[in-house]
Parts: sequence; C-alpha cells; structure tokens
Amino acid sequence: MTGQEPPTKPSGDDDQPPPDTGMGMTAVAYLISGMLVWGAIGLLVDHWVGTKGIFAGIGAVVGIGGGVYLIVRRLGA
Amino acid sequence: MIGQSIVLAAEVPFPPSVEDFYLPSILPWGEHNSYWFTKITALLWITVAAIIIFFLATYRKPQLVPTKKQWIAESIYGFVRNNIAVDMLGKRGINFAPYLTTLFVFILLMNFWAIVPFAQISPNSHIAFPAILAVISYVMFIYIGMKHHGGLKYFKHALIPPAPWFILPLLIPIEFFSTFLVRPFSLAVRLFANMFAGHMLLLVFTLGGFAMLNANVWFAPFSVVSWVMTIALTFLEFLVICLQAYVFTVLTASYVQGALADEH
Repeated sequence: MTGQEPPTKPSGDDDQPPPDTGMGMTAVAYLISGMLVWGAIGLLVDHWVGTKGIFAGIGAVVGIGGGVYLIVRRLGA
Repeated sequence: MIGQSIVLAAEVPFPPSVEDFYLPSILPWGEHNSYWFTKITALLWITVAAIIIFFLATYRKPQLVPTKKQWIAESIYGFVRNNIAVDMLGKRGINFAPYLTTLFVFILLMNFWAIVPFAQISPNSHIAFPAILAVISYVMFIYIGMKHHGGLKYFKHALIPPAPWFILPLLIPIEFFSTFLVRPFSLAVRLFANMFAGHMLLLVFTLGGFAMLNANVWFAPFSVVSWVMTIALTFLEFLVICLQAYVFTVLTASYVQGALADEH
C-alpha cells in the first residue's frame, strides 16, 4: 500500500473539493486571537494610564478589525 | 433486580466529580500515593500493542488480492492517505500519510475506550495525552516549515502577511498569537474537552439513574429514562469519537499545509 500511486483525482471517489475544516478553524482563530491580543494590550495600557477599560474596549474592536483583515488577505480568494 | 439496584445505589456517589477520572492504582495494588500503573496506563499499552500487532499481522505477507484483514488495513491507510493527506497537501501528502495514519488510528482507538464496556474511560480524557500529541504536531509543522523555507525565513513567511507596512504592527501580534500559541492549545484542549465531557455526561446519566432510584420510589420510572438516555448518549459518543480523531488529523494536516505553502 505504501508504494501504490494515489489516484489522479485527489479524492478517489468523487469530485468534491478538499475539506475546508482547517480554513474554518483558521478564520475563527484569527477573529478570537485578534480580539484577545489587542484587548489584552489595551488592558495593560489601561493599567498604565489608570483608566477603567476604555483602552481594552478600543483594543478589542481594533483587534477584531485586524483579524477580519487577516482573514481577507490570507484566506480570501 | 430493583432491590439489588437500591443496594448498589446506596454506594453510588452523586454528582460525579473530577475525582472520578483519577482511577485507583493497580500496581502497586490499592496504593494512594504511588501511581505507576492504573487502568489508564493499561488502556494505553493495550492500544499501542493492538495497533502494532494489527498492522504487522495484516501487512506481513501482502497479497495482490487482499485478504479480509489486509483489506481493512489498506482501507484505513487509504482513507487517511487519499482523503486527508493527498487532498490537503497534494503529492507531498504521501510523505506525511504514515504519520497521519498513525495519529488517526491511535486517537481513534484511545477515544474508543470511552464506550467499550468495562473500560468506559478514554485515556484522552486526561489532558496529558492530547497535550503530548499536540506538541508532536506543533514541533513537526514548525520543523517542516523551517526546512521548507529555510530557517528563520519560515517565521517571516508565517508572521508577515501580505499587507501594507503601516498595518503590519497591528497584524503581526495577531498572527503570532493565532499560529504559535492558539494552535497547540486548541488542538489539545479540543480533544481533551470532548472526551472529558463525554465521560462526564455518561457518568451523570448512569449515576443519576441510581441517585433518583435511591431518593424516592416515585422517581424510579425516571431512572429508567435516565439509563435509556445513557444508551442514546453512548451512540452520540461514538460519533464524537470518530469526529475528534478525524478533526485532529485534518487540523495537523492543515497546519503542515500552512507551513509548506508558498507565497501567493
């Protein structure tokens, strides 16, 4: 079985496109990590400046924007 | 039968807790602070032995017209190679097919202990097992990326998306976080949490039946409902077992694909 050539069509049985599970996960990971990373940085700025969460909020919104941008650039056609 | 159940029920602890995942020591027998060999260890060894023996035995003398066992082994390997490895990685996927097949079969069998009568717990419901598997996949995709792109160029490729320079400071932390921190974590936690929750769910419905029987005689019919639910949930658990083994393998393949991808 190791030496046998794989079928020319990637998935031997039908013409389905390859599974996109990885892509969906990547997209979700980008969204959530964008929010978390910049939210956390915002929280640090909050501590430093002494505000009560305004920078964390701004950070989360900006981060999710970055996440959407990354999804478009990395995964968009 | 009901009398017997009530006697049993008196000893059944409810609700189940995390303590139920820490099984008593087998070797040394009944010890409470030295755990060298537990049911989890036994299940792990049986799994590894079963996989090695099965694939050695079925593939020792391969025949052109496969025997039944050879056909099963070839189907498993062919499924992972054609439907996961080659589908996601193209021709290079053949190189990764042996690893992905081992991973798939190992996780599938380890998960399957969750619904085998008398075993009834999956070693994967302890975070250590999924964590080690995730670390292997993590180190592997980074190593492959570094080999393919050449050392630190891989990190440049992985961290710097095609975007104008002024937006890069915003994007690079996100890329770093999602690629190098979230991936191994989510890989391990997804498998662990599914197996943990599955075991917990079955415990709740099984022990809940006894607890209701114990509490009040009028609850007895509902304890039967609870046990019927246990059987239904066992079938659901079977679905989760296969799905999680598949998802772990597909995600590993997709991470390798990401490491091998060229600029586009």
